[in-house]
Parts: sequence; C-alpha cells; structure tokens
Amino acid sequence: MEPSMLQMPAIPEIIQLIPLKNYLILSTALFVIGIIGVLTRRNAIVIFMSIELMLNAANLLLIAFSSYKSDPAGQVFVFFIMAVAAAEVAVGLAIIVMIYRNTRTTDVGFLNKLKW
Amino acid sequence: MYPIILLSVLGIVVLFLGFMKSKNILLPATLLFLALALGSNFIDWNQGPLLYFYGMFSVTNLTLAFNAIVLISAFLIVAMTRGFQDDEEAQPAEYYGIMLFSLVGAIMIIGYEHLIIFFVGIEILSVAMYILTGSDKRNLRSNEASLKYFLMGAFATGIMLFGIALLYGATGAFSLTGIRGFVSTAAGAQSYILYAGLLLLLIGMLFKVSAAPFHFWTPDVYDGAPSIFTTFMSTIVKTAGFAAIFRLLSHSFAGIYDFWYITLAVITVLTLFVGNVVAVYQDSFKRMMAYSSISHAGYLLIALTALTAQTERSILFYSMAYSVATISAFGVLMLIAKEKSLDGRPNESYDAFNGLAKQNPLLAFVLTVSMLSLAGIPLTAGFWGKFFVFSSAADRGLIWMLVVAVLMSAVGIYYYFRVVIASYMKEGNTGKIRVAPFYQIVLVAATVITILFGLAPGFFEQLL
Amino acid sequence: MLSDFGTIFLFILAAVALVSMMLGMARLLRPNNPNEEKLSTYESGEEPLGNANVQFNVRFYVVALIFVLFDVELIFLFPWAVVFGNEDLIQQTNGQWGWFALAEMTVFVGILVLGLAYAWAKGYLDWVRPEPKTPHVDSPVPTSLYQQVNEKYKKS
Repeated sequence: MEPSMLQMPAIPEIIQLIPLKNYLILSTALFVIGIIGVLTRRNAIVIFMSIELMLNAANLLLIAFSSYKSDPAGQVFVFFIMAVAAAEVAVGLAIIVMIYRNTRTTDVGFLNKLKW
Repeated sequence: MYPIILLSVLGIVVLFLGFMKSKNILLPATLLFLALALGSNFIDWNQGPLLYFYGMFSVTNLTLAFNAIVLISAFLIVAMTRGFQDDEEAQPAEYYGIMLFSLVGAIMIIGYEHLIIFFVGIEILSVAMYILTGSDKRNLRSNEASLKYFLMGAFATGIMLFGIALLYGATGAFSLTGIRGFVSTAAGAQSYILYAGLLLLLIGMLFKVSAAPFHFWTPDVYDGAPSIFTTFMSTIVKTAGFAAIFRLLSHSFAGIYDFWYITLAVITVLTLFVGNVVAVYQDSFKRMMAYSSISHAGYLLIALTALTAQTERSILFYSMAYSVATISAFGVLMLIAKEKSLDGRPNESYDAFNGLAKQNPLLAFVLTVSMLSLAGIPLTAGFWGKFFVFSSAADRGLIWMLVVAVLMSAVGIYYYFRVVIASYMKEGNTGKIRVAPFYQIVLVAATVITILFGLAPGFFEQLL
Repeated sequence: MLSDFGTIFLFILAAVALVSMMLGMARLLRPNNPNEEKLSTYESGEEPLGNANVQFNVRFYVVALIFVLFDVELIFLFPWAVVFGNEDLIQQTNGQWGWFALAEMTVFVGILVLGLAYAWAKGYLDWVRPEPKTPHVDSPVPTSLYQQVNEKYKKS
C-alpha cells in the first residue's frame, strides 16, 4: 500500500496543548499500577483486571505517539491489541470459571498443588 | 506463507470434522493436513528472500527450515495422541484444531517482519497453549497449571506490549527494517526510550521461552499440563520463540549490541545455573524435564548472546536436536506413566522406570539415546548442537560464559543419567508395555534422526 | 480568556450544579410519607426475593463471552469502512478496489460466521440447554404392577 493513501490528517492543535511527556507519564503510571496489582493481589479476577490495565496503558501510549507523529500505524496496532485482548479475556475467564467449578474459589493462594 | 493460510483453513476443517459420528477419522486427517502444510512450506524453497502480506512477513530458506522443524515436531507429537478416544470428556476435534492454529502462530513469529505480525502470532501461540494446558478439566493440577500459565503469559504480554509502544515512540516504526534504520542513526544510539522499550520487549519474550529469572511458571505448568501438551509446549513454543528473539536482535538491534549483550549474558548464566542445578533435586522425571527445558533455553541463549554469522544455523540445529530428543523422552514417559499409574494418576517419578530395560529393551534404548542427546554426549545430535553453540560463543570471545556452560553440562549428565541408570541397573517390574504401531514409528524415527545427525552433522548443512 | 479545557471544566460545574439544584428542589417540594410497599424494589410488580448480589447461572456467562468476542472483532470493520469507500482509490483502480475490499471483508466475516456456526452447532447458544432428568427409582416392584394399580383406581 502506498504510504500516501495512509496519510492521516494533521492533528488538531488542541491535542498538542498537552505535551507528549504527560501521556508518557500517565501511561507509565497506569502500567506500574497494573504491575503492582498483579504482584500483590490474591484474587485471580483482580489480577486479571490489573493485566488489562497494563494492556490499556500500552494502548494509550501507542495512540498518543500515533497522534503526535500523524502516523496511523500505531492506531491500527491498538485495534489488534483490543481484538486479541478480547480473545484472551474469553479464554482467561473460561479458565477461571473452570477452576471455580472445581474449587468454589478464585483465590490463587488456594492453588498450591504444584510446588517445587 | 502458504502453511499459514493452509493451516488456518484446515484447522477450521478439523473443528467441523468433529461433528462426524466417528472420531477415528480425526487423527489421520490431522496428520494428512500437517503433511500438506509441510509440503506447501517448501513451495518457496530457494526462491530467495521473499516478502509477503505487504512486506510484513518474510520468507528465507532459514525461516522455512525453522517452519519445517516446527511442523515435523507437531507431526510426531500428533502421531502420539492416541489417548483421546478413551476419554469421554475429551474433545479431540478441538484439541487437534487448536494445535493446528497454534502452529500458525509459531510460523508467524518465525518469519515476522513487522511487530503486528509478531504480536498476533505470539498471542495465537500462547492463547492456544493456555487452553491445551487446561484441557484436563477435572484435574486440579491441570487447572492450576492453566491458570498460572495464563496469568503469567498475559502479564508477559502486557510487558511486551508496553515495550513495543515505547519502541514505536522512539523509532516511529513497527517494521524491523524501520527500527534498524533508526537504531543506526546517531540519535538512535542515544535514545533512552528505545533502550527501555527493547528491555521490556526482551523481558516479555524471555518470559515466553522461560529464561531465568522469568522461569518460575515453567516447572508448575509443564508438570500440571497433560504430558502430550507439555511436549508440544517444550518443543514448538521454544523453537519458535528463539527464532523470534533471534530475528528481533539480529535484524533490528545488531547496531546496539554493546547495550543489550550484558543483560542477555547475565540472564544466560542465570538460566544455565537455575535450570541445571534445580533439576538435580527433582524426584519427578516430568519436572526434571521442565527444568531441563529451562537449561536448554540457557544454551540457546548463549548462541543469541554471541550473535555471529553462524548463530541462526546453530539455533536451528540445536532446536532440532532438542525437539527430537524431547519428543522421544516424553513419548517413553507417557507410556510408562500410564502403565504404572497410581490411584488413577500417571506415575511420573524416576522409580517408575526401574527395570525398564529387561522387558522393554526398545523403550529403554529410545530413552537412553534421547537422554544422551539432551546431555550432549558425542555421536548424538545434541552433542553437535552444543558444539555449534559453544563454538559461536568462542568466536565472540565469551570464554567465561563457555566455562559456566561446560560446567553446567557436566551437572546435566548427572540428572539425565539417573533415569538411564534406573531403567538398566535397578530392579523393578514394568511389565511388557504394548506400544501402538504409530507410536513405535514415532519413537524409532526420533531416535534415528538423533543418531543420524549425531553421526553426520554435515548432512544437515547440505540440506540448507 | 478560557482555554478549551476551561470550557469543559465549566460544563462539568454547570452539570453538577443543575442536577443538584433539580434534585434539591424536588426534595423540598414533594410530600414524604414512606411505607414498606413504597420502599421495596420495583420489579414489575413481582415480590422482590433475596439479595441482588446472587450468582448468575453459568449459561449467561457463556453467552456473554460469545457476545464479547464477536462484538470486539467488529472493530476491524471501522478502519475497513474508511478505506472501502475511498473515491480516489476506486478511481485509480477503475473500481477494482471496491471489489477487492469487499472480498477481503467477506473472508473475515465468513470466518467469524463459521465460528458462530460452530458455537451454535455445539449448543452453546441455546438459552436453556435441555437436560431432561428422568427420575429413576430402583424398585423391585415391576412397572406393570403400578400400571395395574393406576388402571384400577381410574375405573372407580
């Protein structure tokens, strides 16, 4: 495909009122909150939500970069991330429901059958 | 490119074949489809470097060879899946379909030229693996393994994506050539966002191939998953994953070798150490194989860290030798674990192998050859794999790393020989194990490949 | 002079003020004499039973998952729609572009339809999955005996 056809219209100035750095800080903060959530929470569903937060931090960053570069590739990547994340959600929730049916809990501390 | 399209379509066909009354058609159909995909893989052979999908996917002879390893491993593994028919809960059509789909992901990450293809491929591969790990629905161990794998895998995906986002911010490109173009500029060599992005992306990828210190999920997952899917994970995911990491580092980041090589070298040594030392303390053969797969990731990382002109070939040879030996080892394990099951659970400890050689000399021989190959004893393919990897490290002058690696292979000999000693020296009764003809062919073929490439490694070079 | 974000802030302030003013006025004006019937949750005239935080049946969850999957895959239609009707591209290619784009999307939607068909054929879309349980009684008395008794009392 010719790049000319993929040209995005120049971004409105209003968006550039917020410096790119702020987006970088915001999405890094979201990402770190997600990581802390994964490491400290015990409930599988909450861990899962934290992971989604990490993915969305990446999405936000991609979109911010994409707008500032006037390059649609970043936004296309976000579409793919969203679609793949939905598939992951479906599989992950199915696994959690399967475990819930067998153990009646979603607490990961209960899962200790396998240890070195 | 052809196997991607073919496998996607045929995977759907397999799913719908599951609606037929007779389940017996599924296995031959899947094998036929895999053979077709393998054949179509070679349409592009010797056509030179080709780009497909608007320059997002590249095909060279070496990527085709990686594809072939993945497809042949899958073929051998699928040929061993005779057990699904006995289990009422099992959904063989879905398992076969998911295996075919996951191969699509593996092939995508072997030849990606654009990070979207890489991301989608690695997700296809991992999501399929989460499902297969949990396929033993009533078994709590399988449940647990699946949840752990899923949470850790998704976590790694998140880290990887953030890395990709940072890389995009720094370079403005997702394609490997675009990134390389930026890295080679003066600004690129100084960009901290680029460094951070590369590190996060590498961490995410090393998670997937279970390098220490990101390995902690591996033993649990490999142990809990049904053995047949453990084989699938430890061969195909590892081969494809290393091909992908190699591609990223060599095509885009060779320019800043000095930056990432220290990180990778530390991870390599740590992986070798953890994998080999902890494997010594395992009582279960299956768990030992999990740690052994970590240690083999370490040997493959040596080749990556060296990054010489020979690296891709040595990774190719090593993953071929490792895959074949692992398949035959797990093949024997599955037979014995089923035969000696305790309270309906397969017995995967070393003791189950006691006295194997007396009544089942063939199985004992297959097991011994695969263990020799994994340990890297001469006259097996594994020896030459290690030899190529070590010599590329020597070319780079990474002598201290070689010393660690050689010491660790010596440790490896100890735990690989435990099972050989159990089957030849110890007293025990395994009973005469009946091996299905298909199964026997797989085991013999894997052993023959191991010995053949052990005797004549040059043969492999000529194939390329 | 306000920046554009200042305008948004004013909007938020105005919205909060308006809503609180209307609710506050209603509170002052309306008569207030509650009884038990009035305070109960309105469920279309049904007597409310139990807590709202009950666990839903698992089959809702399967349907929800299938919905989420197909719903999210549709985002790929949006970028496609932008280029599908692009007049420049259509003119440059003598109309070939439209057919090409349509064919590509047909393949994509076709695969989704196959997935849906698979879920349908497997029975995951059936709202109530029929699992008739016939009560089974292990009794030494043969069934014919019961029937005889039934017949006898029917006559009388």
